Amino acid sequence: MLTRISAWWRGLWGHSQALVAEAPLEIPWEREWGYLPKRNAGPGFSSADYVEARRRAREVALATLGDELWAQLRRQGYLDVPSKRFPGLSYRLRIGRRIEVRTALGVISPWPYDYLCINPLYPLPEEEFFAHLYLYVRDREDIILDVAAPQPWDQALGRTF
Amino acid sequence: MGRIIVANRRGHQLVEWTTETDTPEAQAQIAEAERIIREARENGCLVSKRVDGKHVVDREPFNPKVEEYQIIAPIAGG
Repeated sequence: MLTRISAWWRGLWGHSQALVAEAPLEIPWEREWGYLPKRNAGPGFSSADYVEARRRAREVALATLGDELWAQLRRQGYLDVPSKRFPGLSYRLRIGRRIEVRTALGVISPWPYDYLCINPLYPLPEEEFFAHLYLYVRDREDIILDVAAPQPWDQALGRTF
Repeated sequence: MGRIIVANRRGHQLVEWTTETDTPEAQAQIAEAERIIREARENGCLVSKRVDGKHVVDREPFNPKVEEYQIIAPIAGG
């Protein structure tokens, strides 16, 4: 029943799953995105496109993280990933926000501030980028160390929507 | 059947191939999938593959027997 309602809703907004599947493949690294305002997917993206993109992003985030982590994220609102480089340090990941660096008592952080600002180079729905960031932190912490911009305050990411 | 999840502003789009036949069309699908993985890496993306129900970052060359790849967006600070 929910599936039928969902299909009807998408149809109402002029988008069915089939239509999206038939859209030409968009290779994001072949385009320039730097000119876009914050939290914007670019010209020609309708409000229905945003709704559909976020729905599809959630599917990928779930597939990327697996059922257990996804359920933990929904329950807690964040995932903590322990650092493999710095004992006693962990990265708190939240959807659409900067990474929060957390340290155990007595552990000194390698960063001057507690928040790390990291964005994708092209616009992505925030749940999809959350899954990407999780993979970076867990499997390629070296890249996080290279690119992270420490900031003194929390804030929404600019390149996601 | 294998697939690449190409993460983009549309949430994602899929590139699929089959290893069940050896037709020219199937070979072309595999070549296209291999090209996309290669070009993604050349442009700073990571690639992950599905293992035991979740994704892990993969540094191996494209393997058509992998069930599912995903293109991970390059990142920058600030």
